[in-house]
Amino acid sequence: MTPPPTTPGITTALAALRTPFVPGDQHTFVSDLTVGELVLLEEIDFRPVDIVSGAGSASWNPQFTTANTEGEMWGRSIATAIDNARSGILEELRSRHADGVVAMRFELERERASLLTCTMLGTAVQGTGRRPSEGHPFATTLSARDFHLLVRAGYEPVGIVIGVSVVGFAARSVAQSLGLARDNVELSDQTTALYSAREQAMEMMEREATQLHADGVVEVQLQERPVNALLTHAVEFIAVGTAVCRGREGHRDLAPEFQLTLDDPPDATFSDT
Amino acid sequence: MAQTPGDAGGVGPDDGAFAPDHRARATWTSDLSVAEAAAVRRVGLVPAGFVMGTAVMQLAAAGAQLYGQWGITGQSPGRSGAYAEAYPCAHGYGFGANAQEHYGFSVEDVTLAASLTDGYRLAIDRLDAEAAQLGAHGVVGVDLFFENLVGSAGTATFFARGTAVVHPGTPPLPSPFLTNASGQHFERLIALGYVPVGLAVGVGAVYVQPNCQARGSFTIVGPNRQIPAAIAVARTRARAALAATAHRSGDGVVHTEWTDRKVNRYGESWDQLTMAVGTAVRRYSTENVPLSPRPVLPLRP
Repeated sequence: MTPPPTTPGITTALAALRTPFVPGDQHTFVSDLTVGELVLLEEIDFRPVDIVSGAGSASWNPQFTTANTEGEMWGRSIATAIDNARSGILEELRSRHADGVVAMRFELERERASLLTCTMLGTAVQGTGRRPSEGHPFATTLSARDFHLLVRAGYEPVGIVIGVSVVGFAARSVAQSLGLARDNVELSDQTTALYSAREQAMEMMEREATQLHADGVVEVQLQERPVNALLTHAVEFIAVGTAVCRGREGHRDLAPEFQLTLDDPPDATFSDT
Repeated sequence: MAQTPGDAGGVGPDDGAFAPDHRARATWTSDLSVAEAAAVRRVGLVPAGFVMGTAVMQLAAAGAQLYGQWGITGQSPGRSGAYAEAYPCAHGYGFGANAQEHYGFSVEDVTLAASLTDGYRLAIDRLDAEAAQLGAHGVVGVDLFFENLVGSAGTATFFARGTAVVHPGTPPLPSPFLTNASGQHFERLIALGYVPVGLAVGVGAVYVQPNCQARGSFTIVGPNRQIPAAIAVARTRARAALAATAHRSGDGVVHTEWTDRKVNRYGESWDQLTMAVGTAVRRYSTENVPLSPRPVLPLRP
């Protein structure tokens, strides 16, 4: 059999494995980056340091929320759970002298009706040839790909910002709750509550971004949840995003190349939709 | 005769009797996609055969050891030297009447973690043995996982499967490299100047008996520490195992598939599990060619 054409690297790579490795005080890293993500980071002069994580959990009493009032204790508990996870991951970043964290997995798990656990997990990174972060590492919800694009475009993340609000609305009548109502009308109370919750959550997020001296917030993820139980009528609104700052050199145009693939469109014959 | 591990007749995974003799075959098999096979071939390797390692494990029950922690106070190293922490009633009822419903504790379940680690290790070792029997230089795209089959409570079936690859004309390595990266990611890894060494596995398990606050009682609200602490301990153990493998084998661990899982146990308790599987890598060259990916914007219809 004729050997296939060989990349120069593979022979050297296999030879390296033939040499017994003696562990020393070498710098090692742990990351959950894919190899593609590792390449993207190295291209912008960042290297992985370690996997870092944070978690927060809090509960609240959801009862007796009245119309047009903000469920302050409820919203504060959710914000505290997310904030504790964020603080935990920042603490781990500081202990590892990392500049920030990328490829973050951000999860909100509702353990029970009124208990929420927030977990964050990502790869701590250090910029090679950059100035030390002076104890102010950045957290971000961006993927490694988006982080790569952000840095190439001349921006840098400065932190995760959150906004949480819970607003109550009036209970529906028994007939409405049972689905017996015959009118097509807007439930304006609920619409107003949703708008109000959105407004307050975004204001909180903007306040946090301002405190970080950010130019803007990207990759905002929204979660809206109406809660309609016997004694509880409220809407939760959670917003989480990454605050970014423009670098000293300003915005850099990525100048993407337009691409027209020559593939045929996918065959819809056997599509489920 | 049934083939059983460690059979006195000499048929068992340890002596390779479970591994089919691929050398007698005229062709090879693989679970690589066409694109993966092309990527592996671009690197200079060719598939040698589909390889698999498996092990059915009984997961040791650690109930007595865990419940032996009932009534502990404060944070202690536990009976086995592992993490254990008490979470007394958040209302402040102490240990009085009905207080047992409010008391909680978290104990590291080292028995379960060891069972899972052993299962992974057996599956990996058997995969490695099959690949070595084929004279392979490595295995790419290793899928490492376990299943809990219905009707088999307390057991787990571990699988490791992938495609053995060989570099024609090069003598076999002392031990084939293993990676859970796909063929394309393997190609990028080599181009970046890293070579995979083997799989890195980390497992952490904490048994959580929630106290009133971690249970979500309406009468005591606010942040609880028990759930985040259990998650942190399980994750720290898994991460430490990966870091130890990275230190033993080279420069780092990449491509980690990270899984956090809550497994319900007795009553309201659960096991907070973390399982992490990655590839330990060693840098063989610092002269990697910059790839500088070009931004493109597809014009889709």
